[in-house]
Order: sequence, then C-alpha cells, then structure tokens
Amino acid sequence: MSELKPRKDLLDIESLELDEIEYVLGNAVPFKQLFQRSVKKVPTLRGKTVLNLFYEPSTRTSSSFEVAANRMSADVTNFSVSSSSITKGESLLDTIETLQAMQSDYIVIRHQAAGVPNIVAKHTGASVINAGDGYHAHPTQALLDTMTFREVHPDYAGKRIAIIGDVLHSRVARSTSTLFHKQGIEVGVLGPGALIPEGRPDFMRRFQSWEDVFDWKPHAIYLLRVQMERQEGQFFPSIAEYHKMYGMNSERLVSMRKLGAYLMHPGPVNRGVEVTDEAMGYEKSLISTQVENGIAVRMAVLHWLKPETQKE
Amino acid sequence: MRLFKNGKIASEASPELIEADVLVSDEGGILEVGPSLKEGDAEVADCTGCVLVPGMFDLHVRGREPGYEHKETLRTCAEAALHGGITGLVLMPDTSPPIDSGNQLKSIQDRIAELGSIEMLQAGCLTKAREGRELAGYSGLAALGVPMLTDSDKAIDCPDLLRRCMEYARDFDLLVTSHCETPALAKAGVVNEGRLSYRLGLPGVPTISQEIAIERDLALARHTGVRLHLQQISTGMSLDAVRLSKRAGVRVSCEVSPHHLIFSEEDVTDYDTAFKIQPPLQKKGDVEALLAGLLDDTIDVLASGHSPHTAFEKSADFGSAPWGASALETSVLAIYDRFIATGRFNWDLLIRKYSSAPRHLVGLDPITIESGRRANFFVFDLEAETAINREYFRSKCPVTPFSGQTLKGAIREALV
Repeated sequence: MSELKPRKDLLDIESLELDEIEYVLGNAVPFKQLFQRSVKKVPTLRGKTVLNLFYEPSTRTSSSFEVAANRMSADVTNFSVSSSSITKGESLLDTIETLQAMQSDYIVIRHQAAGVPNIVAKHTGASVINAGDGYHAHPTQALLDTMTFREVHPDYAGKRIAIIGDVLHSRVARSTSTLFHKQGIEVGVLGPGALIPEGRPDFMRRFQSWEDVFDWKPHAIYLLRVQMERQEGQFFPSIAEYHKMYGMNSERLVSMRKLGAYLMHPGPVNRGVEVTDEAMGYEKSLISTQVENGIAVRMAVLHWLKPETQKE
Repeated sequence: MRLFKNGKIASEASPELIEADVLVSDEGGILEVGPSLKEGDAEVADCTGCVLVPGMFDLHVRGREPGYEHKETLRTCAEAALHGGITGLVLMPDTSPPIDSGNQLKSIQDRIAELGSIEMLQAGCLTKAREGRELAGYSGLAALGVPMLTDSDKAIDCPDLLRRCMEYARDFDLLVTSHCETPALAKAGVVNEGRLSYRLGLPGVPTISQEIAIERDLALARHTGVRLHLQQISTGMSLDAVRLSKRAGVRVSCEVSPHHLIFSEEDVTDYDTAFKIQPPLQKKGDVEALLAGLLDDTIDVLASGHSPHTAFEKSADFGSAPWGASALETSVLAIYDRFIATGRFNWDLLIRKYSSAPRHLVGLDPITIESGRRANFFVFDLEAETAINREYFRSKCPVTPFSGQTLKGAIREALV
C-alpha cells in the first residue's frame, strides 16, 4: 500500500479516499481482537489528551469514544454542554479559544448545527473528529457500519442494503450510504415521502413499499431511528402509522429471515416503533456488533489522525 | 475646476462609448462636455483607459442606523456606496426602531441631511414594527416623500393584510415592495432545498417558498391595482410568473442582485457563511434564467441587497449566522468583471438597470453626463484590477462571496 497522506481531521465521509478507509477498517480488526484479551489497552496514545465535546446529549456515542480513547491509553476529558446553557451570545469562536487553552490533541465533537466541526477544525491544531453534526455527517458511525457489514459479507462489493426511515433528518443515512456506495455496495431507501429528500444522491434508489424492498433481495436492512418530535412540522400522521407502514414487524421479519438478510440499527432503538420486541431477538441482528465495532473503529480513527498540536 | 480628460462617456442611450472630456466646476456642476476641451486653469484628471459612468442608484440597501451601528452607519454606508460607484440609494426600514411612522422617517431624513453625503432615501414599513399585524402610518410617511413601503426581509404572511396594505397604499400612489417568501415553507431553511441541503445537512428552503409568494403577490397587485415591486427574485419559475403578469398589464417591477446573477448553490462550499444570502443561492439553470430575464427586461432593476454584519457575527455556524453580505462595493465591479468585460452586455444596460430604472421607480430623473447637469458619475478604469479583501472595504462589513477574488476594473473616484 502506498503512503497515506497524513490527515488531521475526520469531518465527513465524502472527502475520504479509498485507501484511507481501508487503513482505518484494516486497523480496526486487531483493535477488536484486543477486546478478547484480559488487558484491553494499548499504549499508543499515552500522554495524549482527548476532549469529548458534546453539545447534544448522547450517552452511547460519547461513551464509545471515551472507551476507545481509554483503550488507547489517552487521557479523556468529557465536556458536555447541555443545550439549555448554550446562550445566543455565546459564540463558537470563543468556545474554540477556550478549547485551544486546554491543549487537547483530539477533539471529538457533536453539535446540533451542521458544519460546526468544520469551523472548529479550521481554528485548532487538534485533530477534530465529527461525532455527528446536525443532519450533515456521522463518519465514525459509517465506518463502524461498514466494518460490521464487511464482517458478515467479506465479498461485500455488489451487495445490497436497504435503509428504512427518516433519511431527510439523518446524518447516519447520509454518511453510511455514502460509505457503502464508495465500497460498491448498492443502497436503496424506503420511508415516508416527506422524509426521503429529492436532493438525495442518484445512487440511492427509492422503494415505495416493503414488497419492493424484499423483491430487491437486500443483504441487510438498516432501520433508522425515528425522531418522535420534530419542531419543523409533521412528516407522517402518527407513530402508530409509521410502525404499521415502515416498522420491522413479525410479518416482515418472516420475509427478512427467508432472505437471510441481516438487521442493523444505529441505536438507540425505539421498541415498538422501528422494531417490535420479537424482531429485536432476530438471530441475524447486528445491532450489538455495531456497538462493539464502534469502539474498535474509533480506536482506529484516533490511531490514524495526525494532530498538529505538537511536534514529536 | 476639474477637467476629466481623455476618457469615454457611457450612457443609457447607446452601447457605444463616446470620447469626450468633462469639465466640472468647483461647485460640482458640469460646465462642458466635448472632445479635446482646453484645460485652462482646471486641474486635469487623466482618464485615459477610463469610462465615465453615471452614478448608480441602489434600491435595496441596509444602512443599519439606528440600532445596529456596529454593523454599519449611514456614514460608512455612504462611503461604501461612493467607493462602489453608487451615488444614490434606498435604505431599508429594518432598523431598531423600524421606520414605520412619519416621526421615525423625519429623524432619519434629518440625520441624512446632516451627513450631507450621497442621495439617500429612507423607505418606510408596510406594517407597524414590521410585525405583519397592523398597517404602518402611510399618510405620515407619504407626506415626507417616502420612496417605497417594505417590511424588508419579512414577508407579510396574511394575504388579507397585504391586500389592505395595497389598497391603502394605492391612494397615496406608494410603491409596495414585497419580500418574496412563504414563511410556512421557508421555515428555518438556510440553503436551497435539494442537492445542496442534502449534502450539507442543512435545512433547505424550497423554491416554492418564493414562487408561491410571487404568484400570490402578483394576484393581489392585479386585484388592487397597486404598483408592486418584487425584491430579489432568484428562480426561473418566478421570472415566468412576472413575465406573464407584465404581459397582462399588472403594474409590477422586480429586481435581482449581482450576487444572484453570478453565484449558484454550487458555490456554497465548506459552510462559508459569506454565501448565506437572501434568498438562498439557486441552481445554475436559475442563474442563467436570471441573466436572460435581465436582458429581456423581465427584470427591471439591479439592486445589491447590501446587508452588512460584522465579520464576527458571520463567523457563527452556517445555520446560526445572519443572512447577508456586503455588496455596495462589489456590485459594479462584479458586473463589469463577469458581464461587460466578457461581452455579455454593455454599459448602457448597467446604467439602465442600476441607475435610471430604479430612479424612475422612486420618482427620480435619470442621471446623464451633460453640460448644465450636476456632476454625478464615477471614473471606471478598464485596465486596472481590484483585489477584494478586508482592506478594500469602506463598509463595516468585509464579508463577501467575492472574498479573495481579483475583479477586472477599478473605480477611481465617484462624484456627487
């Protein structure tokens, strides 16, 4: 493999080169094997600091990054800013200045506004890892999803994945579908009309019904999380109707089982909405593997990025 | 006395430039225009390679005074305008407090007179405090010669209220201007809905927000007979609606900004908030339709939509940053660079769209460079270049989509 160009930040999937993706996913494998050992730590990032900056509540992602950083022997500071304390007058540039003073080597950031990680990255020497910004991107989720899919389908090129639900408001759908596409995996989507944006990329084919989805013979079905409340209006009549139209119920479970398709979900699952209890117990569910792979992938990302904070 | 020698004069009357010298008195009157004038004791300004262009008139400017003097003041606004070849303009009333009564208007007019700079006309609000609930005091505004009524960047949501505004304004023969947006559709959108909003993960504004607003406002104008001016048109479909209404005899005019003639949504990269301008930048096809609309006279007026904010305010994330950019000082240069220098159109069209037509809309005579008239023109150096950077701006707002570009031509000076 040729030399990788050093990369400071991980902000989105679009800008990633294929060799970078291979590098990260390749390294995630030995990191994952480490989890079987009694000592799960490597000394790679000893003396380095990771700042977990979460402007949006997220126990799962922030814990995943924290565990990943700990297993790399980095020092972790968790800085969660509850949305109520963000006042209008508080500017992003002031926050960045404060962050600079903390001398972190890596900044993991989640923010409700798209593009904030880009701004932070521009103003700091630390490596910035986007842990989800608005509807824009969630690159480590995409990497862990791809890792998970590739584990069950090592000959992944040409395989098919159906993404179900709210694509419009989903950074997961954006990043994961882009990465799947880059890997040569076909992507189809199903969801309420108002939540499948017209501006989606051409590679994302749209289905009108579950029947169409099953006819397409997907190798995995990826259910997106439904946001129960949306300030900007209503996109489908009710949660009950959503479940009826798009949820993974027992009938669809039978079809999925017949196909041998895997089930994926970024978590946390709304039981009874995206998935019934019965479907949660599906033998080919990859949901907990996704969580486990999340840690491995995030370790691989920390290992890969090169901060410009200090010279070696 | 000053003699502007060896230059060429541009006019609305002809695409051809006329070689002539211009002699201007100390009081600012044009004494003589003609070939090879004797310099006598006049101070000579050598205008070789330059065009003398009648001063521009900008129908859509935010001066930010009173209330937002950190963004712009009337003084910096006037300096910026002159720096950009603009010698007259209309100020939007979205100040704090908003200009919604004769008293408010009087105080601004006094302030403008005290400043004694360029020709600045203050527009008045359509509704009290721009809240879209009650009519503003039109008679007081009309008595003081208000050039137009507008709620600036707020659309009037209720069609019944807008109808009453139009019916009331009609009797004063006031120009009603409309910000073409349907708030219930635009919501929190910050970029054009479609590929761009998907790619950036930002809430989008659908084009139907503008198109429905325009159809509604055109229908109301047809119904009431008022003179309607549509601000900042940005889509091809909007233009089609205007074209049809004009053919049907509706008294409507519309404007486009140089930004919207030049930039498309594809230019919005890396969350650069300089490109967060109202209305959101559109697809390339729409940009082409706008140019065609300008050339076929569906679009009457060029207006910058100058909306200054401090660099700090614009440094927020794309969704939170305020709408707007600096435009007074880049409009003429950008039009020259992109359209005149490239042969898409000539100076006469610029003069018509950015000087005489907007002046006509607010009841002012056109500007010409003729003896006996006041000197109201700028000297445009065709051979120079202008680097657009922070240092270039006289406005308090250096945020522009042209940042870092070098535009052909340079405005040497403007007389008014």
